[in-house]
Amino acid sequence: MARGRLQAVARNLGCYALLAPTFLMLAVFCFVPFVWAFTTSFYAYEIGGESAFVGLANYGEYLGDPTFLSSFTNLLFLTLFSVFVNVVFPFGVAKLIFSLSSERARYAYRIIFLVPIVVPGVAVLMIWGGLIYGDNGLVNEVLRLVGLGAWTRGWLSAPDTVLWAVACIGFPFAGGINILIYYAGLSSIPESVHEAAQLDGASGLRKFFAIDVPLVLSQIKLLVILTVIGVIQGFQGMFILTRGGPGFASMVPGLWMYFNAFSFQRMGYACAIGVVLFLIILVLTVLNLKYFRSAEDVQAAT
Amino acid sequence: MIKAKHILLVVILAVSAWALWPPRAGDDAVIRLGARRPGAEAEAARRPYHIRMAPGLYLPGTMPGNVGKPLAGLLDVAEKFEELYPDTYVEFVGTPAVREWLVTQLAAGLAPDILNVNVEDVWQDVQKGWYVPLDAYLDRPSPFAKPGEPGSKQWWDVFKYQAITRGKAAPDGKSYCISYDMVETGIFYNKDILERLGLGLPKDWVEFLAMQKRLAEAGYVPLLVELGPMSDWGVDLIFDQLYAPILDGIDLVKDPVREPYLQGYLDWDEICFLYRKGFFTRKDPRWVELWRILKAWRQYWNRDISTADMMRLFVTQRGAMYWSASWTVQQLARDPDIPFRWGVFYLPPIPASYSPYADGHDMCVIGGSAMQYVVTNTAFSDTGDPATSERLKRAVAFLQFLTVPENADRVINEVLSMLPNVKGVEPHPELQPFDDFLKRPYTTTKWSFTFDMRFNEILVRMLDLYLNDGIAEDDYLAWTERNLRFAVETTVRRKKVDFDALQRTWDALAPARRHMKGLPDGAR
Amino acid sequence: MRRRRDMLLHGVLGFIVFLTMVPFVFVLNNSLRTNMEMYHSFFGLPGSVENLARFTWYRLAGRQDEIRLRRAPPEGAAGAETRAADLPVETIGYAQAMGRLWDDLTCGYRYAWKVLRPYMVNTLLVCVATAIGVVAIGSVSGYVFARYRFPGSRALFVAVLSLMIIPGVLTLVPSFLLVKQLGLLNSYWVLILPYVAGGQVFAIFLFKGFFDGLPEELFESARLDGAGHLALYWHIVLPLSKQVIAVVGVMTILGTWNNFLWPFITNADAQYHVVASGLYLMGQSPASNNFSTMFAAYVLSSVPLLVLFIYATQPFMRGVTSGAFKA
Repeated sequence: MARGRLQAVARNLGCYALLAPTFLMLAVFCFVPFVWAFTTSFYAYEIGGESAFVGLANYGEYLGDPTFLSSFTNLLFLTLFSVFVNVVFPFGVAKLIFSLSSERARYAYRIIFLVPIVVPGVAVLMIWGGLIYGDNGLVNEVLRLVGLGAWTRGWLSAPDTVLWAVACIGFPFAGGINILIYYAGLSSIPESVHEAAQLDGASGLRKFFAIDVPLVLSQIKLLVILTVIGVIQGFQGMFILTRGGPGFASMVPGLWMYFNAFSFQRMGYACAIGVVLFLIILVLTVLNLKYFRSAEDVQAAT
Repeated sequence: MIKAKHILLVVILAVSAWALWPPRAGDDAVIRLGARRPGAEAEAARRPYHIRMAPGLYLPGTMPGNVGKPLAGLLDVAEKFEELYPDTYVEFVGTPAVREWLVTQLAAGLAPDILNVNVEDVWQDVQKGWYVPLDAYLDRPSPFAKPGEPGSKQWWDVFKYQAITRGKAAPDGKSYCISYDMVETGIFYNKDILERLGLGLPKDWVEFLAMQKRLAEAGYVPLLVELGPMSDWGVDLIFDQLYAPILDGIDLVKDPVREPYLQGYLDWDEICFLYRKGFFTRKDPRWVELWRILKAWRQYWNRDISTADMMRLFVTQRGAMYWSASWTVQQLARDPDIPFRWGVFYLPPIPASYSPYADGHDMCVIGGSAMQYVVTNTAFSDTGDPATSERLKRAVAFLQFLTVPENADRVINEVLSMLPNVKGVEPHPELQPFDDFLKRPYTTTKWSFTFDMRFNEILVRMLDLYLNDGIAEDDYLAWTERNLRFAVETTVRRKKVDFDALQRTWDALAPARRHMKGLPDGAR
Repeated sequence: MRRRRDMLLHGVLGFIVFLTMVPFVFVLNNSLRTNMEMYHSFFGLPGSVENLARFTWYRLAGRQDEIRLRRAPPEGAAGAETRAADLPVETIGYAQAMGRLWDDLTCGYRYAWKVLRPYMVNTLLVCVATAIGVVAIGSVSGYVFARYRFPGSRALFVAVLSLMIIPGVLTLVPSFLLVKQLGLLNSYWVLILPYVAGGQVFAIFLFKGFFDGLPEELFESARLDGAGHLALYWHIVLPLSKQVIAVVGVMTILGTWNNFLWPFITNADAQYHVVASGLYLMGQSPASNNFSTMFAAYVLSSVPLLVLFIYATQPFMRGVTSGAFKA
């Protein structure tokens, strides 16, 4: 039996050879750092300095870290907000586009809504931070123009507005490929289903919720999980716009990890924070797999 | 089938090729945050020693203050140097203002050979071997000084502001930087606005606050200042006002090298010790007073102190005063569109009538060295040993070459911002007020440079919240205590502070403290 | 009824389009204004454009003597210290006026391009190399997984996919330490290799899904004609996968273009920075107050993707609609 397997392996050496580059790169750039993160999190390692084994001390310290509570509440808020916004707005716009009667108009709108992705993410963040939320930015100037000058403020520098301001970047959230994904989902609903519903006397809005939403559910789930993972590990926006300030009002765990690693030089502690984030993502993904997916969806979404 | 799209593609590719082509050698100095002289790349390949320098303000190709032409001074000096040393090529790079970047590059051994960095940042990491002490070179003559000129006996002698320059030695006794020029902060004020309101320059803090009140009532923003500078300069200045009166009782370490200039500076070991005696906590009345004074002052600043563009507000005359530093002179003096007259004054002292812990002595100086050039471990990466490295010799030689008076004049005076620290090089007349400010005594301590980045980050963030009514005073004080405790513990662990020696000096100073008021309990 | 509904939809959609485009319209507009104009007022058309139009009108209407501009400040030190208010307004020739207005209009772009040009070159290099790498490796591996049965193929595939779960945030710090040890810091490799390693996972997933759907008869007939493995791949599989290649290529380029953090922390020398980190550096440098330059930089940084967009959207959208994202 073993000889048979060995022969099979030998026969297929070509296949393994072809797959070698993939696995080599994955091993070096994905697997090794992954393992290192875990091991380093048990050490107190300062770059250019000493490295001492501390066991779970880093994790314990993180639980008592002054930023712990605020980071995770901010993260929760941002996640929920982003999920809501990335599900509702693009889907609504996709439905609106889909309902147009002219094929040319539908195509044109899809292209138009795709245009905002040509602007690099960094530029978008800096545009929103400077041009729109700045002291002399669009929001404040418009408020002054309509006489509501008393409402102007530093949107990104006041503790009570900073998180909302960061979350609302990208308003009205219709640019990008999300609309395309939803549109693809909508267009894959067979016409017969719509006709049947029409015959049953269902009206527009009811039809929408009874038919469109369930049949596009897999796209929705895909985007939800992608958004959640993206928000949990993404801190680029905070880094560029607010650096977690004022105080810790917009701090997120990823950003605190970055500061600890590259500014305070506490590599072990930073890795511990990274591991905590990873465990959260893992739990969410597993939950998603177990409770919300069919077997086919498993393959599609991992 | 050829469609319009394809023709457009060809056009786009042609335009892109033209646009992306590197500029010719004769063009303006290459303007990017790293400037390699165009056409010199072939040269560079032939020369074995490449020195990379991050010159800070003087980076060729940049336009400080966004006025005038792109800088070229350092390029000229580098060319002259390369004629003298045909085996060396000097390249200038820009560094981001973000500290994390510097740390990662130093750790990787990739930082530029010569770097501009506040030397107090260096002091925190001297034990890691990232920087080269320059004493050996400073004690010997400079090769470019002619006989009889400053520098012919010791390189130290070329520097104009001797006390400040020597005062920059690290607590371990070694000098890691040369101070190329001097900067000082100052409050720029709009003369037209003040004249219109009949206001004169304040002589003390009480008058200062009253003047700001009048300005606020007239509809201006009295004082424009950003959070960063305020958390650094403001905190240090007021700290000095409140703690200098008791310095005789708490200055535990008198460093012979730096003492003549610094006159009672509190280093991290003293601060750690004093913290354990109750200073800088809620039990320390002067500490509490410091934050109260800042908070009481805050109402006269701009509402948004983090993201607002203070320069714009000053230039469009929405703000009457702007607390900045001498680098702002470049833009104010050279921008032809500024429609008002401006002047500079320094912060007035806090009199005893305003606070029981102040004694009204003149506000100290917190500036001093501007461009502080350090030599990093990259410079001896050719042999790995500073004693044998040829490349290190070239790097130091370039620094010495920069301190030749005509070169310093070419570089420093191309920008209207800093006061040259080289004998024989005069600053621009517009910078004279700052020269006068520099004559004041030095600050008691610099909080932003005492502990590590974590301490600074948390201090600035919490101060931001406190000043903007994000947290109450008690919570803020609790935060600073916690922050300080963590920093003290980290420092004690990293630097191994000798508490016994400090305790002995502390006991010896007890008589001095007996009659002082405003000390924390148990600290007599 | 249909017309009315369509009008309503157009109205709502048009409004949403307007809201989406507002920031970019402002950026475009402000990139043509000078700093002083922006200091004084947020709204407003570029002064140079207004003057261009006005002077052209004067020229056509024969009112040449009304073409008046402030005299240019003298060169050198004298120019640096002259106040604009002290220079007289005088009549100048049309051609000269046009020249100066054009200079004003494009000064932001010229300075921004000088700063961005090297970053642009780097970014194009890195993006193209990454896209080619990802497509090449991804399609080969996807093909092998899809059409060949060998021991452990399922397990290996699941192993590859499971690496998609590893978040970037966890591996950021160790990856930095790793590339530091490998000596890759401060080079193009540090930007290309990790992206290829990460991007290929998604590519393998997409390619395998696509190749799975290819009918077996296609291969049978080719094999009967005596085609070897390489010929099968090159002549049959690749031409059919144009759409998937477009999707993978576009998504890889988008991801690489927008990645800012990694190039920022791994590159000491501005020589190797890419557009994303370069823009951030510009925003941190003294040039950040030079608004016309910053806005021009944003516009310029969007141009390459715009070009990509014009040519790659059709195959990309076809790929997305045809089921690359079908769940």
